[in-house]
Amino acid sequence: MDLPAGTRNYSYSEDVTIFRTGTQKFLLAVLILVLLTAPIWFGGYWLTVANLIGITIISVTGLNILTGYCGQLSIGHAGFMSVGAYTSAILTSRFGVPFLAALLCAGFLAGAVGMIFGIPSLRVKGFYLAISTIAAQFIIIWVAKHWTLTGGAAGMEVMPASILGFEIKTPTEKYYLVLAITIIAIFVAKNIVRTRVGRAFVAIRDNDLAAEVMGINLFRYKLTAFFIGCFYAGIAGSLLAHISFSTSADYFPFLDSVLFVGMIIIGGLGTTLGPILGALAIRLLDVLVTKLSPTLQSAFPNLPPGFTSGIAPLLFGLAIILFLLFEPRGLAHRWTIFKSAYRLWPFSY
Amino acid sequence: MKTRRIILPVLILMVLIMAISPLLGACGGTKAKAGEVLKIGMMTPSTGPVPEKGVPGQHGIQDALLYVNNELGGAAGHTIQVDWRDSAYDMAKVGTIVQDFINSGDILFTTHSSSEMKAAQGVANQNGFPGLATFISTMNLHPALHIYGPTPDYGDDWAALAKYYMANIWKGTGKPKMALHLLSGSVGQGTQDGAKAMADQLGIELVDIENHAISTTSEIESLTRIKTKNPDVLIISGTPAPTAVILKNAKQLGMIPGMTVMCASASFTKALIDLAGADVVEGVYGVFHTVSWDDNVAGMAKATEYVKKYHPADYGNMDYLSTWNTVLLIREILTNAVKAVGYEALSKGGAEAWKAVEEQGIQKLKGYKFEGLQGGTATYTPGDNRLDKFLRIYQVKGGKIVALTDWQEAPLIKYPQYGDK
Repeated sequence: MDLPAGTRNYSYSEDVTIFRTGTQKFLLAVLILVLLTAPIWFGGYWLTVANLIGITIISVTGLNILTGYCGQLSIGHAGFMSVGAYTSAILTSRFGVPFLAALLCAGFLAGAVGMIFGIPSLRVKGFYLAISTIAAQFIIIWVAKHWTLTGGAAGMEVMPASILGFEIKTPTEKYYLVLAITIIAIFVAKNIVRTRVGRAFVAIRDNDLAAEVMGINLFRYKLTAFFIGCFYAGIAGSLLAHISFSTSADYFPFLDSVLFVGMIIIGGLGTTLGPILGALAIRLLDVLVTKLSPTLQSAFPNLPPGFTSGIAPLLFGLAIILFLLFEPRGLAHRWTIFKSAYRLWPFSY
Repeated sequence: MKTRRIILPVLILMVLIMAISPLLGACGGTKAKAGEVLKIGMMTPSTGPVPEKGVPGQHGIQDALLYVNNELGGAAGHTIQVDWRDSAYDMAKVGTIVQDFINSGDILFTTHSSSEMKAAQGVANQNGFPGLATFISTMNLHPALHIYGPTPDYGDDWAALAKYYMANIWKGTGKPKMALHLLSGSVGQGTQDGAKAMADQLGIELVDIENHAISTTSEIESLTRIKTKNPDVLIISGTPAPTAVILKNAKQLGMIPGMTVMCASASFTKALIDLAGADVVEGVYGVFHTVSWDDNVAGMAKATEYVKKYHPADYGNMDYLSTWNTVLLIREILTNAVKAVGYEALSKGGAEAWKAVEEQGIQKLKGYKFEGLQGGTATYTPGDNRLDKFLRIYQVKGGKIVALTDWQEAPLIKYPQYGDK
């Protein structure tokens, strides 16, 4: 971890501390204060947007572990989310399983399904692995649409999340639930990548042959990455189902799987901050277009129908291309550069 | 250095976008003065996979609002103000849009499609926020909670087509063999629900049920499977674009002309003829809840005047007419509600206003005639959230959609799988 000038680690505990300096701790406290008091400042709509962003962050954090750290490209992440959504919906609605247990089961089942689709990763990589994960998306969604247990194409009504008898129904209650799980998910992800497992992931990503020569069991670690990445997707899917009060295959389109990859590119592959920034940027861009389009439509009535609201995908694509060309390390890298510049200011090189 | 010069403006732009989003949201569009407006939320899938339905639907809303507010004096003298959003047929986004409507003080909301409503109804039903879906499916209305249909549902579509087929086309002995080609999702599911509930009763044998995706480009394989079952009639339930693909493929396979083909209401509009070609759809039967554009009814002159003035490309489009009618119905609902509880109670929005709209507006509907633009009248019957229960069978003749029958009432079908008793 890069530290400000003058800060040194004198013990192991200092070395592993995530928030090391007083400034970092202060900023963290401010951030937590802002997040905890958000319902006071935000209306129901913005809380709903924040919930969607939080769920996206969880899912994209999982994808980042799989793709950003371990180098296994997955374009079926929305499909794995649907496994979590349906698992949680079925367990809570049909079998009366408590929400928190169902949430964990959703993660584990999505992780297990992810491992199955991750098996080809030992033999194929890059473009070919991407194709096999696309197949996962379509197979999972097909099953969801045709299985009576999942409600077929109609999907399922989902009970509100309930913790110790307290039903989570309002946007504020949902916000705190999503916030808590998002924070835990980010914290766990941050720590996973600092463990032996995380370093093995990075070794596999950087050069799998060299990693194998060093004694890393590729099959085991690649499957572990698929499990962890899809576990996160399952948790995100479960939350989406319980805050929407319904789930169906329509919630998990293929386009979302592509968008998730775009988010980690824009945010920064292989960083903990990347998925957060990527999800924020793309979701807020979408909100901006949705909010502005009625006004733009009225201001420019001669534009083709749907043009103003339809520019969102164009902007997403443009953003991904620009980042790939000019900042392939994403917004997280920009943030690191900004911090470095700030620390040296006004005596930069 | 060059790279840095480009990256910096891009980053600044992104940061600005993120920064101003909450501010724009807080503005909430044009604010009307207190005492002037009744706010409702409406969404259409104007982009995404079904713009051929969403765009005419959006235009129907815009034009009908002009008509209602400028010529009919709004609802009980109050301007109807619409918060319109493009859902892009993105179900996660629909959830945020509904919350936006709730938060903006809207007292009623509509979706264009049943899929949008499926994604919205969880939050709406939990909050008691009343909603209407212009095109509605069985799972939206069963069990009857806070979601209403200005029209019959897709299950009723199937029943109406099947009854017409049995009464007027089937001349053989025994049970006719029927195949279904259904759009995956609430549209196809609704039709399948109707078929499964009523097929035995009507004496029809379902020999094959195939599904298609909304963005399908070829259904040769599924149609070949259907062809091997040798059905007497094929019912397609989907949106115009995939239905056009199916019809073109059926023609390629020599299934049409020859086999009777019928379409449920989601696809049976001018867009289908435009996309598939008049020669392909010639003779295809369909069912719909509005009059045709050639009908001489009281409200047609105004609808025609507005469509020709503002959106001439939509002339002849049934999606346009459907949302036009939905706006007329909303005016009637809001008029009832204002008369019953007064404007002040509604203007604040929130749970009390929603309750008033539902109980004093929607549930007090009785005999509203849609200016003659729909077959039946909008009347609320307890336990049945379909407000209009009438359908009519049409056929494409000479490249135009022509009415074949008078209006048929669609009896309420019970669906135990959705909680009906």
